[in-house]
This record gives sequence, structure tokens and C-alpha cells, in this order.
Amino acid sequence: MVKLVQLSKAYARGEARVAALHEVSLDVERGEFCAFVGPSGCGKSTLLNLVGGLDRPSSGELLLDGRATTAFTSNDWTVARRDVIGIVFQAFHLVPGLTALENVALPLMLRGDRGRSVVQRAEEVLELVHMGHRTHHRPGELSGGEQQRVAIARALAHRPKLLLADEPTGNLDSHQGTEIMELIRSLAKAGGVTVLLVTHSQTAAHCADYVWTMQDGRLVSRTPSPALTGVA
Amino acid sequence: MAWLKVVALLLLSHLTQRPFRTVLTIVGVALGVSASVAVRTANVEVLHSFEQAVLTVAGPTTLEVSGGDFGLDEQLIAMVREVPGFTAVSPAIVQTAVMLNSGKPGAALQVIGLDLLAEFDSRGFRVMQGEGGNPLTDLLKADSLYLGRTLAEEWHLEKGSAIQLQVGTRQVQARVAGVIQDRSDRVSSWDRVAIMDIAAAQVLFGMVGKLDRIDLVTGPEVEIEEAAQAVRAVLPPHLLVERPASRTRQVEQMVRAFRLNLTVLSWVGLLVGMFLIYNTMAFAVAQRRREIGIYRAIGMTQSRVAGLFLAEAALFGLLGGIVGSLGGILLAQKLVTLVSRTISDLYTPVSQGAASRFDSAELWQASGEGILIGCLVSMVGAIGPSLDASRTATVRALAPGDYESSRQVRVGGLAIGGIGVLILAGLLAFAGPLGGVPILGYLATFCLLAGLSCLAPFCITGWRTHRLQREPVAGVQGVMRTIAVEHAARNPGRNGVTVSALMVGLAIMIGVLIMVRSFRHTVELWINETVIADIVVAPSTWLREANSGSGAKNLPAGWRDALAAIPGVAAVDTYRDVRVEVKGQRVAIVSRDLRMHAQRSQYLVRQGNSTELLNEAVDHGGIIVSEVLANRLGVREGQALEIMTPQGGRSFPVVAVFYDYATDGGKLVMDRGLYQALWQDDSATVFPLYLSAGAQMNEVRHRVADTLRELDGGRLPPLIISNAELRKEILDIFDRTFLLTYVLEAIAVIIAMLGIVNTLVTSVLERRREFATLRAIGGSEGQIRQLVLWEAAYLGVVGIALGLVGGGLLSLLLIKVINKQSFGWTIQMIVPVGALIQAVSLAAAATLVAGYFPARWAAQQPVVEGLREE
Repeated sequence: MVKLVQLSKAYARGEARVAALHEVSLDVERGEFCAFVGPSGCGKSTLLNLVGGLDRPSSGELLLDGRATTAFTSNDWTVARRDVIGIVFQAFHLVPGLTALENVALPLMLRGDRGRSVVQRAEEVLELVHMGHRTHHRPGELSGGEQQRVAIARALAHRPKLLLADEPTGNLDSHQGTEIMELIRSLAKAGGVTVLLVTHSQTAAHCADYVWTMQDGRLVSRTPSPALTGVA
Repeated sequence: MAWLKVVALLLLSHLTQRPFRTVLTIVGVALGVSASVAVRTANVEVLHSFEQAVLTVAGPTTLEVSGGDFGLDEQLIAMVREVPGFTAVSPAIVQTAVMLNSGKPGAALQVIGLDLLAEFDSRGFRVMQGEGGNPLTDLLKADSLYLGRTLAEEWHLEKGSAIQLQVGTRQVQARVAGVIQDRSDRVSSWDRVAIMDIAAAQVLFGMVGKLDRIDLVTGPEVEIEEAAQAVRAVLPPHLLVERPASRTRQVEQMVRAFRLNLTVLSWVGLLVGMFLIYNTMAFAVAQRRREIGIYRAIGMTQSRVAGLFLAEAALFGLLGGIVGSLGGILLAQKLVTLVSRTISDLYTPVSQGAASRFDSAELWQASGEGILIGCLVSMVGAIGPSLDASRTATVRALAPGDYESSRQVRVGGLAIGGIGVLILAGLLAFAGPLGGVPILGYLATFCLLAGLSCLAPFCITGWRTHRLQREPVAGVQGVMRTIAVEHAARNPGRNGVTVSALMVGLAIMIGVLIMVRSFRHTVELWINETVIADIVVAPSTWLREANSGSGAKNLPAGWRDALAAIPGVAAVDTYRDVRVEVKGQRVAIVSRDLRMHAQRSQYLVRQGNSTELLNEAVDHGGIIVSEVLANRLGVREGQALEIMTPQGGRSFPVVAVFYDYATDGGKLVMDRGLYQALWQDDSATVFPLYLSAGAQMNEVRHRVADTLRELDGGRLPPLIISNAELRKEILDIFDRTFLLTYVLEAIAVIIAMLGIVNTLVTSVLERRREFATLRAIGGSEGQIRQLVLWEAAYLGVVGIALGLVGGGLLSLLLIKVINKQSFGWTIQMIVPVGALIQAVSLAAAATLVAGYFPARWAAQQPVVEGLREE
């Protein structure tokens, strides 16, 4: 589903260039759930941003669902995010003026869907994340956990093949965090969605099939999740 | 000192942080200041140059005797000389000739006739060239004319040059006997006039035996007022004896309302600029919450935090003031011409060549005032945000996450307050003028705009767009609209200010537009109803340029019979228009054949029938008075008006009051027979001609030209104007009058547009994370652009709606209160739908253009950085 070949990303800091990601190669199969862990600044979020087309690599190749993305324009990435990719953020990033229902319907409407089916789908996904009773509340009226559920619903509303989750439990307490991770895992497995999860939380990482450890912009190890091996 | 260093350090870092917004704000303030400085400078300069012209030419004169448009009998000078206490009693003629270039009329030339033999060394001028010859010989020649040095340079003339002049209907040739300048070599009014000997001037202007003025110099021990009384005692009562400076005061008084209106209009830019400053500072405070928290944490007091932001605003004001003052002074060079032309068109001739004569002291003063105004306006605009900054809660400002201000705008309370202010505006509108000036009317205008500004936040949040319920939704456009509106509604304070700025700019534009169009419509109606004569024969300088003296405005009365004999001419009226003083007011006395006028034309009388009333005026020796004059003198139909005539004071019954828009100085009309009997004046100003049924306009016009050419060979042909041309000329003068208004309005609207750009850039900066999120979940660059444009459109719609309401109400205030109280004109209100649609379209287009650049910028922001923003 996602294939990285010698992918690098360097940022200019004044006159110096800082490598955030260094020749990373990786192959994630369809339906796999991969977690990336490592210390702050190791390049986890950079990796996710590159896969989501939010940032451009300095070198290397990225294949998305079998398609090379090197020549992708800004518009191509927009289309990819509308159709293939869903993103969940640590800070939820719900649009404050819109209700839960409207937030979830937003990606569908951005790609031009209209009519009753949009509302039906948004309601359906909100039911999936157990937020069916809060559809007309705005983000400010929801708890952190509830907001993240809405954000997950939004990320899944357009039935993406790939879900990118950047510290989805970072702003939540441990109980809410566990609930959210279970939700992501169950929904992903049910829908056959490939998940790339970036996290600091070992608990969260345990939900993944594989856990990649990163350091200084490189992938240093790949271990099967305890959940998969039955150790946990 | 240490504190000042801290302020300087912080200000410098702030100004360079957001250079675009800094420049935008400074430009806004500069535009406001420039309009205000330009109008003030032009207003001052026009009167100043008039005053200088009067005083320079007056020289040592302490009292003047004048007879208005009729002039004086030169025999009177002997009577005045009998009065003790004067060291000099000198005759003077002040007339206007027109310079001819290859036979075609060029610039106007003011010619002053003086007793040069007696006054060559005492008036304050000296001859630059020509001193080598015998000046006495030159002085005595009838065609000798001494030309001011600036005119000589501009027209490339020197001693000995021949100069062709048009005087009335005659063409004469004069010779430059020398070039004159001020005795002290400084720039003065002598540079732009011509002088000649009194006897030659009398001949040249057809005033043999007559004078325009007698200039008196009182002895050093004599009280001027007592001397004036003594002179008045020996002269006919209709003559004026006054100090030269009082002419300036009269003009100042006459144009007071006009200047005040212009000044108030020039402040609109400053008011709108104040909104801009508020916006910039409010954003600066929001953006620097954490920084303010740090200052407070390390020991900066609340008042110093406020002081810091006020100092930043003052710096914006200072820079804007400097730039604006320079711009204003440059703009003033143009405005002086426009203002003096308008004053000359409407009131009294004032010099139009003054533009280059600003002296350095005036310029420094104007710049100083401009800078001070810029600083003051900026600091007033920054008071609210600065206080908000000083009240920052340190702990919350330093905590992670957004700073939620506890001081939310109380939208409802503000709206109720706004309604209160609007009611106050309504009450003030019914109050009368104070000292003849509509002070309370202006206050009502301010309250109207302030009240609507208070309603702006409510209008922004009060709109609730449809929520996404279970019904089908309107698609992506609908949701973009929703997000845009919701965002706008989340910031009622800041957006309210932007909308108010747009509203004020647009309301003024629409208000003035409705007023001007209504006024124009009224003038058109008036022209159509009252300017009936088919052809008007007039002196060539009529309706053109500023004229001094009556010589250029006279036609021989004998022409009437010749014109009446032309085939195709059914009737010829003789119209005489002279200016006299009635109860301290400068009034135009119009005399004409009222019976003929009753039969063929009309006056728009306030009550009754024009024909009957005009005949009644002839029968009873009555007069009809213009509405403006009636209001000013407090007379009504049926009352009597006392007028000082050369035959002494006479009381005239006022048989009618009529609407008139030719001048705001006031006009009274009487039958020509009555006028001639009292004023002994046989001249005509123009001859209105009525054609016989079926006569061809152009044929008659040619016959008139031929007849006049044969009548007096060698004379220059007068103007022979058709009815349509005359109507057009009057409307052209009208349009010219309001040109200045449009310039000032445009400045206010541009500043309002800068406000929109400012707000949207602020909005985009604040919402980078939101836009980045939208991009991350599938929003395209185009959709982000649309979102910002929708927000611009929403603010535009609210601002335009309020602007329309404000403009409509403002036009009522302008027409029914301010104009009525300032000038006394009754204006029939119309709603110029087409022009309003244009104004609204312009505002809408400008809003979208203002929104386009922030929108494009927003769409280009990097997504990752936006998501990373705290």
C-alpha cells in the first residue's frame, strides 16, 4: 500500500541543512497496522507528513497504492487525500465553527459529494465511533476524547485505504487513549484500512501489527507488536 | 530613559515582524492625514491669498470707499478730500480684462488703475524694467500697462511688448511699459496683476467719470472708525466705507459653510483610518499575548504594557503623518485650484494662481499639524486594544494553548447602545443651527455612523446560517460559506470594526451620492422650469473665470432694440445682475422686464402662481426674493424688505419667495423700470431672446451675430448661447463644484478597503492551522481561496447592507439638515438607483479584490507549518 525507497527529507536551518529523514525504505502491505515510535525529533511525524503529501521529500521515492508520487502536483495530493488517505491529528484539528456532523461530512463535501448520502454517511461513521448522540455539538462542547472520536470519524468518512494517525492519544488521558486506539484498530481491521501510527505511547503502539523504532531519521528496528505475538 | 530604550527596542522589533501590515497601516493613516492636510491647507491658502491680494494692493490704505458693481462717481473724491484726517485720498479702478492669444480669449488679467503720478512710490510696488527711460512719459501714455513679473514670465512679455486685451466686447491693444514686483522683492500679489494710470484705465474700461474705489490713508493720530463715520456722513448712503481687511472677513463669512463642509468631509478619511489602526493594534495584541505575559512576568506594569502599544500606534501615526503631510501638501496644490474655482463659481472671485505660493512657514505648520493629527488619530484608535493588552492575565497568557480572552465583546449590549445613539442622532437632526452653522447636524451624522458601527458586531453574529441537519446539504460551496460565516461571527469585535470602516466609507459615498444626484435633479428641474429663453446674448466673459469689476460684464442697453428687430426674434428681455449689500449680506439684485417674464417664463415660487405674482410685483413696486435670502434675512411672502438704494433707504413688499440655485449668496428680483428709477443704471448684463414660433434657432443665431457685428464694428462678438448650451454650462459648473467631494470620498473608500485587506490578512494568519487541516483532509488550494473570499464577501455584504442603510439616512441628514442649514437650499430627494447599483458594485468588487490577495496567500501557506502552529 505504501512503499518508501531511500526517502529523505532535509530542512534548511539558516545555512545548515538538518536531515529529518535519512534514506528510509519501507514496504507496508495493504491492511497492515504499523506503528512508529522513537524519541522526539527522530523523524516519525516527518515520515507521516511525506506519506500524506503534506510535505515533499528531498530525495527518494514514495509509492502510494502502487503509484509513484514523485511527479504528483499539489492538486494530485489533494485528490489522494480526498480518496485514499485519512489523517488523524494529535490536536484533533476539528473546524471550530462546525458541528460534529458537519466536521465529518466535510471531506465528502470537499470532494464534491452532495445530497442526502453525505449526511447519511457522516451519521453512519459517527455511530461507528459511538458519537451518534452528539452529532449537532460543536468541538468546544465536546471532551478531548469525544473530539478525537469525531476526528477519527472524519478521517474515515470517505472510506480511505490508508489512515495516518499522528499521536492520536497525545492529548488524551490513558483511559481515553486506550479507547481511541481500540477504536482505530477495530475500525481499520473491519474496513481493511492500512494504518500508519506515530506515537510515543507504548500502549498505543501495542495495538499495531508491527512497531518500527526510529532514531535520527532512520528506521532502526521492526518488531512484531506484542498484541500480534500474544506477549501482551 | 531606560524605559524609553526598552520601548524603542520592542517597537523596532514589532515593526519589522510584519512589514506588510506595518506598511498597510501607515498607508491608511497617511491617506487620511493627506486628505485632511490638503483640504485644510487649500482652505487656508485660498483665503490667505485673497487676503494677501487685498492687503498688498491696498498698500498703506486704511479705509476704502466702494460702490459695489456700480462703481462711484469720481466727483465724490472731491467731497472725501474735504473730510479732515486723511493724508491721502486716491482713486482706484479694479477691473478684469482677458488676454487674447491670436484673437482667442486666454487667461483673465486683473487690471488696477491707480493715480500713478501720485502713487508710483507709495503703493508698495516697484518697476523692474523700464527704469532706464523716462517713467513719467510712459505713465502718461494711454496704452501703458505695467505687468506683474510672474505674468510677464509666463506670457513671455517684456518692456515694450504689445498685449492684446479683450475688455467687455471690445478688443484693445496695450503696451507693456514695465514689469513690476513688490518693493521688497518678495513674492506678492503684484506679481500677478497689471497696473495702469487711472485715466487710461477709465478710458480702457469705459468708465470715464467713474471709479471702483476711493482708497484713503488716515493720519497717524486719527481713529480709523471715527474717520470712517466722518466719510460716511458726506457720502450717499448706499456706498460702503470699510477697512480693506473687512473684505477678507466678508469672503470668509460667505464661504464659511462651504469650507466647513469640506473640512468635515476630509475628516472621514481620518475616521476610517482610526478603524484601521484599531484593527492592526487589536491583532498585534492577540498575536503577542504570550509576549505580553512574559513582559508582565518579568515586571512590566499594566500601564506600561498599555503605553507600549499606544507608543506603537503613535509611531504608526508619526510615520503615516509624515508621509500623509507630504502627500497632503502635494494634493493641496491641486485642491487650491479646485477650491478657488468653486468659490469663484459660487461666491466671489478669488485668485486661482496661488498654488505655487505656499511659504515655508505655512508648509511647516501644515506638516506639523498633519503629524500631530496622525499621532492623535492612531492613539485614539489604539486605546481599546492597548487597554485590552494591559489586562492580559499573565498565567493564562503563558500557559500552552490559545489565550481565551475573558473580555468578549458584548454584542447585544453594544447593539442596544447603538440603537440609543441612533435615536439621539434622530433627535439632533431636528435641532436648528448654532450661529448659522449646522453643528448639531454634524453631530447627528457622527451619531448615525457611531450607532450603526455599534450595530455592526450584532449584524455579524446575528446572522445564523442554516445548520447541516438531516436535510440534504448545499454541497461544498454551502459548507465553505458556513465555515467562512462562522469564522467571521466568532470575531465580532475585530470584524465589527472592519465592517464599520467599510460601512462609514460606503455610507458617506452613498449619502453624498444621493445628495449630489438629488441636488442635480433639483437644479435640472429648476433649469427646465426657469431657463426658458431660446438664446442668450452675453458678454464673452460671462459664466467664465473670476471677474472683478463690472466693466467686463456689461452690454450696451441700445442693443435691445437692434436684437428685437431681427426676424425670428419674438421678444427680448433685458437682464441686469448687480451685487449690492442688503443688511450685511452680499445679494444679487436682478432686474428684468417682469411682465415679459411673466408671460414667457417663470420663477419657481414657493407659494402661488408665478405669472400672477410677477405682474403683482410690477403693479406694486414689489420684489421677489430667493429662498436662501428669505431664510437668511428672515423675511416671508407679504412682508417688506428695506434696501439701501442710491436714492436712500426704500421698503419693498416681498410678493413671492422663489427657489433659486444659481448662488447661495441670495438673490432678489425686481422690474427693470423700478431698478432703473432707483439705481440710474441703464446697462444690461445679458439679453435673453425668445424666438417666434417656427423660427430656426441656428438661422436666428447667425442673424444675431451678423447684426451685432454690423452694429459696432471692431468689437469682439459677445457670447450667443442657445438654451441647451446655457443649461449645459450651468450643470457643468454644478458638476465641477462636487469634483472635490468625489476626491475626498475616494480616499475614505480606499482606506476602508485597506481595512478589509488588513482584517483578512489577520484572519488568515490566525487560521493557518484551520486552513492546513482543511488541506490535510482533502481541501484544495482553490477551496481555501474560496473560503477566504467567502469571508470577505460576508463582511462585504454586512458592510454594504449597513452602508446602504447609513447612506440613505445620511443623505436625509445632508439634504434636510446640513445643506438646508448651511446653504438654505431646498433639495428634492431622489433615489438614483443606477448610481447606487454602481456604488454598491464598486464596493463589492473592491471587497473581493481586497480579499483576493489574502485568499491567494492563504492557499499557498505550507500545510505542515500550519498544522504545527500552537
